[in-house]
Amino acid sequence: MRLELDPAPSLGKVALAYAAFLLLALFLLALLFLAYGVSPWRAFAVFLSPLTDPLGLSEVARRAIPLLLIGAGLAFAFRVGFFNIGAEGQLLLGAVGGAYAALFLPPGPWTLFLMFLLGGLLGALWGGVAAWLKVRFGASEILTTLMQNYLAYYLVVYLVAGPWKGQLVFGFLYTDRFPPWAHLPRLGDTLVHWPTLLLGVGAALALQVLLFRTPLGFALRVLGENPAAARYLGLPVGRLLLWVGGVSGALAGLAGVGEVAGIHHRLLEPAQISLGYGFTAILAAWLARGRPLWVLLTAFLLGLVLAGGDALKLAFSMPFRVVDVVSGLFLLALIGAEALSRHRVIWRR
Amino acid sequence: MRRVLTLLLALGLGFAQGDKLKACFIYVGPVGDAGWTYAHDLGRKKAEAALPWLETRYVESVPEAQALPVIDRFVREGCQVIFATSFGYGEAVLEAAKKYPNVIFAHATGVKRAPNVATYMADFYQVYYLNGLAAGALSKTGKVGYVAAFPIPEVKRHINAFALGVRAVNPKAQVLVRWINAWYDPAKAREATEALLAQGADVFAFTEDTPTVIQTAARKGAYSFGHYTPMLKFAPDHVVSGQIVHWEVIYIDFLKKVKEGVYTPKNLQNVDYFWLLQHGAVEMGADYGVPINPKHVPLLQKAKLAVGGKEVAVYDRIMTLLKDMQSPKPTFDPFTGPIRDRKGVVRIPAGKKASLEELLTMEWAAPGVVGDWPGEPK
Repeated sequence: MRLELDPAPSLGKVALAYAAFLLLALFLLALLFLAYGVSPWRAFAVFLSPLTDPLGLSEVARRAIPLLLIGAGLAFAFRVGFFNIGAEGQLLLGAVGGAYAALFLPPGPWTLFLMFLLGGLLGALWGGVAAWLKVRFGASEILTTLMQNYLAYYLVVYLVAGPWKGQLVFGFLYTDRFPPWAHLPRLGDTLVHWPTLLLGVGAALALQVLLFRTPLGFALRVLGENPAAARYLGLPVGRLLLWVGGVSGALAGLAGVGEVAGIHHRLLEPAQISLGYGFTAILAAWLARGRPLWVLLTAFLLGLVLAGGDALKLAFSMPFRVVDVVSGLFLLALIGAEALSRHRVIWRR
Repeated sequence: MRRVLTLLLALGLGFAQGDKLKACFIYVGPVGDAGWTYAHDLGRKKAEAALPWLETRYVESVPEAQALPVIDRFVREGCQVIFATSFGYGEAVLEAAKKYPNVIFAHATGVKRAPNVATYMADFYQVYYLNGLAAGALSKTGKVGYVAAFPIPEVKRHINAFALGVRAVNPKAQVLVRWINAWYDPAKAREATEALLAQGADVFAFTEDTPTVIQTAARKGAYSFGHYTPMLKFAPDHVVSGQIVHWEVIYIDFLKKVKEGVYTPKNLQNVDYFWLLQHGAVEMGADYGVPINPKHVPLLQKAKLAVGGKEVAVYDRIMTLLKDMQSPKPTFDPFTGPIRDRKGVVRIPAGKKASLEELLTMEWAAPGVVGDWPGEPK
């Protein structure tokens, strides 16, 4: 008996794999809730409660915005064989660029545009560096992008603790508040900064079209499937990779601008800016199977997992570690189901 | 039809208001931290036990930038009083207070109020002074270590009070300060403690939400003072005393006044609790009811300091002052002039006590404080 890749899993098989893993996760969670002394049915109802009212939906959307932007870029990059694990760092650099435009450039109606421009450029630069190292020296982008996350993290810590530290913040580690020109409009009372959401939807659509409806997209997909073949075909592999690294970095950078301009209105400690979106988005991209458009679905699904976890925390005063286990089990189930549906078991030798 | 509607409306209102007052707490750390958040949660539990008409909820480890969505959900779940227990929640609380004018907010350690936002604090500066006296007497190297969270006025006030106490016993002693820029970070706290040990510090006080400093110091045989909750159990031979909070005193008083209608969402603009030893909101002790670890009492009785020209045992001095500051009308205050800062500038003139305003905005460093001091006035 052995496992091998299943190039074209049937729809039924995929559905079955997902159903089986989700049931397994639900069963384990039911045990966990029972051990904690909460009725599993009530707990599941609370977990799904964000879907039932506008405020909950807005929480899902708020989490989905950065996941969508980053996830679309990553689905695109993964398809081309550029394994960018550094979206978190690219997001942070985007936030740095946005904060610079907000705090130090003359404010006006152009401020938001400049923020997105500068944030996107810095994100692209950060992704581009990894791509350049790969093209020029053959450095694995998995390692370089991962390490660049730490550089970005400490750059932000340095800025908020040093030169950019606010005058009015009592020794806390953040900058002063952005001027009003630098605040993204939100949907009503919620924290949904809709311009960033639109950017995300636009990015997913555009990358989908680019990848599957244009000659450039065809070249990129060839590169992703078989780099050696791409070279034999005479494709400009280096330039394509630089381009892909830049695009996925830029989208993560835009997500970073969205977080600081839409929610925080200041640059603050890196762990508070992003809540790990850059890593969760990898999952969104992976579940989308290299189709940027599908991220529209997976980003909101993961947004629900995060928002549902928050709902549990509040409704039952549950310790946050228990809630992390809940989200973790769901994510593991999704990964397991995806892995199972991509493989098939061969019983004979 | 109308009657049915009225009935439904009445029922709905009945449910909405219920018999119980619902108070909800937002914590910045985990409830198991043995420090700040644990103390608030203890206060919440004691208030709930003492007030039969009270129902509480909490959510822990809320990043300061994420407070607003949490408040949104709390309000929707019917919370009538929301306690935000970290300074960093300030902006979110004020924004939410505008959004929900009928909800009562109380912001711990906050400075800005609104018609429906009160502020409250159980402050330790008197206790820190008393602990400083003991630390000054116990240090053999003349170097006392302080592991500090954020360079904000509250922490600076505490370090200053502590340093004044240390210097009252040993005028040449130094208080070595290290900032870890975190309320909860055991790893950084341990690093800072080890660095201070290497610099020669042999007695420790700190502002961080775990017993890490105590445990790290005890391994090297250094004395320490617990912070926020009774920490005697973490190093029974080395914890001399400490600061213990009783948040429930404030919570019970506040919630009773809400229930009785004294506090409404319209009249909190000037409601600020700054409660001290005399209100019972704080206690000096290694454990509840143990002001000084009995193992260290003989040492403190042997050590002397001069008070008004007379030699007094440090232990007696601590007990006299403690009793005075616990009385309804204290005569002693650690921040009584003349006090100069470490640069020689007079901060509190002779014969005057620091005002509440001066305490809440304290940025200067007391003489004897050694180390980086962000925001120090020139």
